[in-house]
Amino acid sequence: MISEWGKNIARFIVFMLIQVLILKHIDLSRFINPFLYIIFLLMLPIRMDKSLFLFIAFATGLTIDMFYNTMGYNAAACVFMAYCRPRVLRFYAPKGEYDTSAKPTIQSMGLSWILSYAGTMVFLHHLVLFFLEALSFSSFFTTFAIVIVSSISTVGLIVLSQLIMQRRRT
Amino acid sequence: MYGIIAFFRRHYFAVLFVALEFLSLSFVFRDNYYHQAGFFNSANSVAGSFYKTYNDITSYFHLKTENTQLAEENMRLHNNLAEITDTTKRPKVPHTNPYGQQFNFTTAEVIDNSTNQASNYITLNMGKKQGIAEGMGVISPSGIVGVVIGVSDHYAVVMSMLHKNYQLSAMLKKGGAFGTITWKGDDYRYALLSQIPMSEQVNAGDTIVSSGYSTMYPKGITIGVVEKAEPIPTQYFYTIKVRLTTNFKKLGFVYVVSDLMKTEKTDLEENAHKANDGK
Repeated sequence: MISEWGKNIARFIVFMLIQVLILKHIDLSRFINPFLYIIFLLMLPIRMDKSLFLFIAFATGLTIDMFYNTMGYNAAACVFMAYCRPRVLRFYAPKGEYDTSAKPTIQSMGLSWILSYAGTMVFLHHLVLFFLEALSFSSFFTTFAIVIVSSISTVGLIVLSQLIMQRRRT
Repeated sequence: MYGIIAFFRRHYFAVLFVALEFLSLSFVFRDNYYHQAGFFNSANSVAGSFYKTYNDITSYFHLKTENTQLAEENMRLHNNLAEITDTTKRPKVPHTNPYGQQFNFTTAEVIDNSTNQASNYITLNMGKKQGIAEGMGVISPSGIVGVVIGVSDHYAVVMSMLHKNYQLSAMLKKGGAFGTITWKGDDYRYALLSQIPMSEQVNAGDTIVSSGYSTMYPKGITIGVVEKAEPIPTQYFYTIKVRLTTNFKKLGFVYVVSDLMKTEKTDLEENAHKANDGK
C-alpha cells in the first residue's frame, strides 16, 4: 500500500518535471501542445474515492498553473476532468465490474481500454483548458483543432510513457 | 434545514465539484490577480528558485550566443556615443529633467520563458529588493520584450510581447506614423501593427520603434521591421506584419526599464482627466 503511494508521488514529480522543463519549451506548432502531466491523475487507482480524486486534481492543476503563470486554467480543466471520471470509468467498464486488482494501465486493462479512457479524459481536460485560454481570442474552429491535435499528442505521449514504465518493470 | 442537509449529503460530490470549479474560475477571471494573489505565479519562491536553479545549469550552453549579442550591442552603443559626442549633432533643447536622466536600466537574467502558449510569460531573477516594480518595461539588446506584471522579493513575472493581452503604441521610424502593436498568438517571430493610415508610405524593411507614449519604454526602442503591409480598403488602414527583432526563443539577459518621471507624468495626466470630468 505504501509503495503504491510512493509510486504515485514519484510519478507526480517525474511528470511535473517533464511538463515544466521539457514540454513547456517544445515549440513544434501552436496546434501541438501536449499536457502529459495529467497521466499522473489518470494512473491513480480506479477505486480511489472520487472526492479525494477531485481535491488531488485541483492541487495538481494549481501546481502546473503556478509554473505556467496560467492561474486557474489548469485547475479548472483538471477539476472538470475529475468530476467526469466516475462516469467515464463506468462507461468503459468491462463486462461485470472492474477487478479489485485492476489498474488503469495497458498491462492491466489493455491498449484499447487505455486509448478510450485516456482519450476521453484528455479530450475533456483539453477542451476546458484551450477554450478558457481562447476566450475572446481565437475562432471556435481554430481552438477546436488545437484541442483535437493536442489531445492526440497527449494521448500518444501517455501510451508511450506507460509502455516505457511497463518495460522497466518487466 | 433537514432537507438542506439531506440534499448536501446526497449531492456532496457535485457540490464539491461546483465549489472547486468556481474557485478555479474565480482565479481565471479575476482581474489583475497578481495584485492580490502574488503567491500563485512563477515569481513565488518555490517556482522562482526552481527555475533559477535549472537556469543556473542550462545557461552555460547559451554563453556563445549571449556573447555575440552583447558584442553587437556594444558596437551599436559605441556608434551612438560617437554620434552624441559629435557636438554639431547634439540636441539644442536643454535638459530640464531634475534627475539628469529619465530612464534607468537594470540588468536581469531570464530564468524561465515560453513562446508556444496563447499567453506567454517570462520569469526574471530580479524582484522588489532590486527595485523592480509592476508596470516597468523589459527590453533585450535587440528589441522590446514585455512588461513586468508581478514582483516578489527576488523574482519578477513579465508579460511577454507574445501575449494575447499585450498592446503597445508603436511608430514607423521613417515618417513617424503611430499605430498599435499586438500579437496574434500564432508565431513567435511576428506581430501585427494596425491603425497606420493608408496615406502613409509603408515599405517592407521599414523599422518599427516604440512611440514613447507609455511610460514603459523610452521612445525609439526597436520593435521589428515591416515584413508585409496590406491595405484594408474599407477601413483606410494598413494591416502590417512585423518581424520582431527580439528572438524570444533565445532570451538571456534583459534590461528592466524604470521611468524616473513616471509618477509625475501619470499624476499630471490623472489630474487633467479629473479636472475634465469635474466640468
